[in-house]
Amino acid sequence: MNSLQSRIKTLIKYKDLVLELVSRDLKLKYRRSILGYVWSVLNPLLIMLVLTAVFSNLFKKNISNYPVYLLCGRTLYDFLKLSTNNAMKSVTGNAQLLKKTYVPQYIFTLAKVTSCMVDTVLSLGALAVVMVITGAKFYWTILLFPVVILELYIFCCGLGFLLATLHVFFRDIQYIYNAVMTAWLYVTPIIYSLESINMPEKLKFLVKTFNPLYFYVTQFRAYVYEGCFPGKIVFLGGWFYAFAMLIVGVAVFQAKKDKFVLYI
Amino acid sequence: MDNYVVEVDDVTVRFNLSNEKVDNLKEYAIKLMKHELMFQEFLALKNVSLKVKKGEAWGLIGTNGSGKSTLLKVIAGILKPYRGSVRVAGSIAPLIELGAGFDGNLTARENIYMNGTLLGHSKKFMEEHFDEVVEFAEIKKFLDSPIKNFSSGMKARLGFAVATIVNPDVLIVDEVLEVGDYRFRKKCNERMQEMRESGTTLLYVSHNINSVKKLCDHAIWLDKGVERMAGDAVTVCEAYQQEQDELEKIRLKKKREKERKKRGNNYDYLIVGAGLFGAVFAHEARQAGKRCLVIDRRTHIGGNIYTENVDGIQVHKYGAHIFHTSDKEVWEYVNQFAEFNHYINSPMAVYKDELYNLPFNMNTFSKMWGIRTPEEAQKIIADQIADLHITEPQNLEEQALSLVGTDVYEKLIRGYTEKQWGRPCKELPSFIIKRLPLRFTYDNNYFNDRYQGIPMGGYTKIVEALLADVDVKLGVDFAAYQKENPGTFKKVVYTGMIDEYFDYRLGHLQYRTVRFETERLPESNYQGNAVVNYTEAAVPYTRIIEHKHFEPEREKAEPKDFTVISREYSQEWKPGMEPYYPVNDEKNGQLYEEYRKLADQEKNVIFGGRLGHYKYYDMDKVIREALECVREELKRKD
Repeated sequence: MNSLQSRIKTLIKYKDLVLELVSRDLKLKYRRSILGYVWSVLNPLLIMLVLTAVFSNLFKKNISNYPVYLLCGRTLYDFLKLSTNNAMKSVTGNAQLLKKTYVPQYIFTLAKVTSCMVDTVLSLGALAVVMVITGAKFYWTILLFPVVILELYIFCCGLGFLLATLHVFFRDIQYIYNAVMTAWLYVTPIIYSLESINMPEKLKFLVKTFNPLYFYVTQFRAYVYEGCFPGKIVFLGGWFYAFAMLIVGVAVFQAKKDKFVLYI
Repeated sequence: MDNYVVEVDDVTVRFNLSNEKVDNLKEYAIKLMKHELMFQEFLALKNVSLKVKKGEAWGLIGTNGSGKSTLLKVIAGILKPYRGSVRVAGSIAPLIELGAGFDGNLTARENIYMNGTLLGHSKKFMEEHFDEVVEFAEIKKFLDSPIKNFSSGMKARLGFAVATIVNPDVLIVDEVLEVGDYRFRKKCNERMQEMRESGTTLLYVSHNINSVKKLCDHAIWLDKGVERMAGDAVTVCEAYQQEQDELEKIRLKKKREKERKKRGNNYDYLIVGAGLFGAVFAHEARQAGKRCLVIDRRTHIGGNIYTENVDGIQVHKYGAHIFHTSDKEVWEYVNQFAEFNHYINSPMAVYKDELYNLPFNMNTFSKMWGIRTPEEAQKIIADQIADLHITEPQNLEEQALSLVGTDVYEKLIRGYTEKQWGRPCKELPSFIIKRLPLRFTYDNNYFNDRYQGIPMGGYTKIVEALLADVDVKLGVDFAAYQKENPGTFKKVVYTGMIDEYFDYRLGHLQYRTVRFETERLPESNYQGNAVVNYTEAAVPYTRIIEHKHFEPEREKAEPKDFTVISREYSQEWKPGMEPYYPVNDEKNGQLYEEYRKLADQEKNVIFGGRLGHYKYYDMDKVIREALECVREELKRKD
């Protein structure tokens, strides 16, 4: 247990670095752009507008207040996509630094996911705006959204560690992962709802069981869009996948991290 | 318990250096199928051990790719050893690259925090030390501009300032201080010195051997990942330097061999005489890309400055040579090729059972007359001169007497001069001595020049270095060479006797010569000084040189229980003897002028040096002459 203790000590020692890295990412994102933070809100809004224009007629009958429905899913998907993509390059991207200074490598991965998380929370403003415009009802359960964000954050960390490790050894992974992300968008009920489309039952079952994102999106919609608690399976499944991913990610990362510097 | 701060134990670092870096799936799959996925193992370090105690300063030296940086990285924790273990007690400040973590888009202020936290400091700690950093880096004005606009020197300053906020237990410096201006380097060195004084252990990588010698007390020499030598910094550095020099020599030799294949026996310059003039000329011409061949009749290089190593004593084979000059450029020039000690020539004179300091100064006078003040000395000398009533000196004796008075002349000048010239002073012309400087200060330094010293390790080393990249043939006579290899050289630089070049067709120029009786004595210190003159006519030799005293630092480092002395006898020169000093009388001067006229007609021959110019040159003057000659020559378009 000594090693765990010393690891926690290291994490505490470097916590300010994580904060610095996160604030750098956010600062640099908006520095020198005129609208600055507004883009965090505006960007999802614009995408939402486009998607709504395209798809709302398609699912009009089955999904009430499509813009909010869509944005709920889309926000989480964007978080997953952006954070894991950034995390994937967090070790290789800091090659110069890691070759020259001793810093625990995972700090960079952690910082990337964290800054995306902060960014996501900020972009929730867009959701609020849309809800107000569309006259959606605000339920008290909306206050529970951080639970989902936390689950997804843990999940993204785990996946980020795994991808970062893979990226060190095979740069191809970034292209493969891109394809995976596109597929992931479509096997998750984001622009559609499972009830509203003709999907083979078998596939529906697979999505509901093995697609982690399904759990988070469903849970999030329950709090924000429907104003109720998610099913027990959805709730626990979300936590299960979060920690399962984290354990896998950390294990792989730990096993390989000493070799990173030889390959970056 | 041992108190090692850094303990590197039998460490091996392995890189999987596949022929090309396999970093995509396609290649991986192809190689896997072809069974080529055998990574070439590359061991950056092989079983290296290093134990560093608190407060020591270790230099890591070696060529590029020898594993120096790898070792530092292993110690810093950046690389993990493949085998073996590394233990570091305490904190490390690794200066492997200054400002490695800088983000060009962030401002200096932001980068200070960023870099500080990268090194594991807390934000609070950084806030406390923020002003310190800014002050050291001298970037107050630019705190809020993005660092991408900074010059590399500014970045280095900032990086160094952040990295050295705390006094770490171990400071690791990898070649980073080579950037930046003079003041910055100085500041960094001071900061490092401060740290060292407060007990910080230093690990230092540099290609600059001198700075390693200066900063470090220990050194480890790595060669292809293996420890070659470890221990005292100076010893290790010198061994390393020596090998590097050897390798360089081999490289140059190969280069010249290639040239030989291309150009055969054809040279731009045939330089006759491997003395100082020839060597300087050859060196400079070579630097300018000319192909030179140096030949010498003697079987060694160096001409008369040749020194021979006799069991650790540098013996000046052709008489004592003490380098002295006021010409800064020449001094800096020779210092490129050898390190000079601070030898000051202060010869002694023995007259019967009396012993005096030379040159004639207050120490001499005080001993001679038992006086103390310059005034007393001046009075005695003036009185002695006045008593002689010499108005127009008719010969050397009268000339000398009228300058220094009876005592100094009788005891210190007469006998010596008579031995030198082989006849009584009364029969010598007065013009030989124009002035006899008397010093009314207690100053035994023979020369008045700004710079003075003896190259440590002997003069031959200088000439060796000058001729490092030049073809040399020894034991070769110019006339014979010319006959055997006609038309193989564009120009001749002739540093031999000018009359010999013209086959003495106008007669012989005269020289004075010195005969040396060199003797090895089974005692450690024969006369206590390098140069002792014997001014009494009855003693047959003019002076005795005890060679070991030219390099006192060497004798101190390795005391020897024997010594080598040379007695000098002045001799009349006859053709066939070694010529030493030209005789600057009217007859010889005129004859030389005649030869000079002949020489001017030789379009493709440059005459140079003491014998070529029939002129007594000190070493510094020869170098100056040679440099000017070769520059002039190279300026000319063929």
